[in-house]
Amino acid sequence: MTKLEARNIVKRFDHNGNPVLALDGINLKVDEGDFVCIVGPSGCGKSTFLNIVAGLEKPDSGEILLNGNTISTPGPDRTMVFQEGALFPWLKVIDNVEFGLKMAGIPKNERAQISQRYLDMMQLTKFANSYTYQLSTGMKQRVAIARALVMDPEILLMDEPFAALDAQTRDLLLVELQLIWERTKKTILFVTHSIAESVILGNRVVVFKNRPAKIKKEFVIDYRRPRLAEDENLLKYQQEILAELRTEVKAQIKREFEE
Amino acid sequence: MKGKITAKRIVFYAAIVVVWQIVFSLNIWSENIFPSPLQVAEDLAYGAADGTLFFGIATSMWRLIVGLAISIAGGITLGVFMARIASVNQTIGSLILGLQSVPSVAWVPMSLLWFGLTDSGIIFVTVASSLFAVTINTYSGMKNIPTSYIAAARNMGTSEAQLITNVMLPAAFPYLISGFKQGWAFAWRGVIGAEIIFSFLGLGFLLNVGRELNDISQVISVMLVIMIIGILIDGFVFKKIERKVMSRWGLA
Repeated sequence: MTKLEARNIVKRFDHNGNPVLALDGINLKVDEGDFVCIVGPSGCGKSTFLNIVAGLEKPDSGEILLNGNTISTPGPDRTMVFQEGALFPWLKVIDNVEFGLKMAGIPKNERAQISQRYLDMMQLTKFANSYTYQLSTGMKQRVAIARALVMDPEILLMDEPFAALDAQTRDLLLVELQLIWERTKKTILFVTHSIAESVILGNRVVVFKNRPAKIKKEFVIDYRRPRLAEDENLLKYQQEILAELRTEVKAQIKREFEE
Repeated sequence: MKGKITAKRIVFYAAIVVVWQIVFSLNIWSENIFPSPLQVAEDLAYGAADGTLFFGIATSMWRLIVGLAISIAGGITLGVFMARIASVNQTIGSLILGLQSVPSVAWVPMSLLWFGLTDSGIIFVTVASSLFAVTINTYSGMKNIPTSYIAAARNMGTSEAQLITNVMLPAAFPYLISGFKQGWAFAWRGVIGAEIIFSFLGLGFLLNVGRELNDISQVISVMLVIMIIGILIDGFVFKKIERKVMSRWGLA
């Protein structure tokens, strides 16, 4: 069953008074329970696409359908994990996690029950009463994931959530995220510039072509889980994708050089 | 380290008193113009003993607190509207920038005409002195919130009202605090200035009485009290809040 569908999404940006085509007709279907990664060079418009799915930005044309219904505003059915976490520093970890539930008017004891489950899942129970400045970057991203999952979204959107992490922490979270995905059966749409990350996580890897962004090719990664970062068998998938992206990256470097 | 700083300060202030005493002993000026440290201390003790000093402090502080509370409530409200509605900022915003440049004592004649010699008159001057600083700081705080906070909040389904109260105001809190701090400093100047001209109770009034009685010791002792209250509120109220907020918001 299709959970999320993007139909011919077009987005233009204003660049010094000239409209620049950022997304040139993106069509994408994500099945229920699937784990889809979008990979592409930085600045290729993949985060813009994710923001449109989240309803935080509006496309110039095209539509996003969730369970067959058109959506245009942000909502807790599509929670997002942001690259910098975007946690609220004035709240304790537990209050950050419960934030969306509180806004939805869910009573305190019920909130506590729900949040406890995700604090446990993300191994944050010990830090429930800490403030975010007391946490490492990796812990912050755990909180951000718990905060997004607590809303029990239809689809979980992740915008380069591990980009700022050190390698060891990231490898750990890459495995954990797979376990969480298996446990919660969530549909996940994950944006990254790291090919390695995309083949570790994704059932499908969608490669974005640069400026204007279009879907260039799609890969199916049919490999057992949990996949580890150091698994050499994943290299051949990486190489296939890299070959596809290399021309893109070269084109971008050339363009930037000329500009 | 901290003990060392304190020691330095004690030596510094002790030195001032010693120099002061030496200059006094040289008899360059008459006692009516240049009193000795002991005379000022006696005056302080006298004012404390008969209660006039405490009554003056209480009166001024009460006016300050009422005025500042009005300024904080009003300033936050104005600042929020300016930050959220462009037309409000383009119109009222420009007026507020202009009004902020009006010195606090310049409000006194208007206040006297409107309110007469009343507490309300002095409180009006206090509010006029501090309201706009709070407003402008609230506005810049709201404008400088990381966009990711707002995106995250909307992503979790917050309404516009919830966004302001649960996200934007707390996110802008470091700015609000500096607004309160500036507001308090302006309010304190406003209260004392108004009290001198209104000559209607409070520390400013005591200053004026000192002048009328040609009592330089009283003038200096009241000035000392005004300064000490300033140091105490700055150091104990605002520094503490600021330090806590800065570390928690990850700014220090």
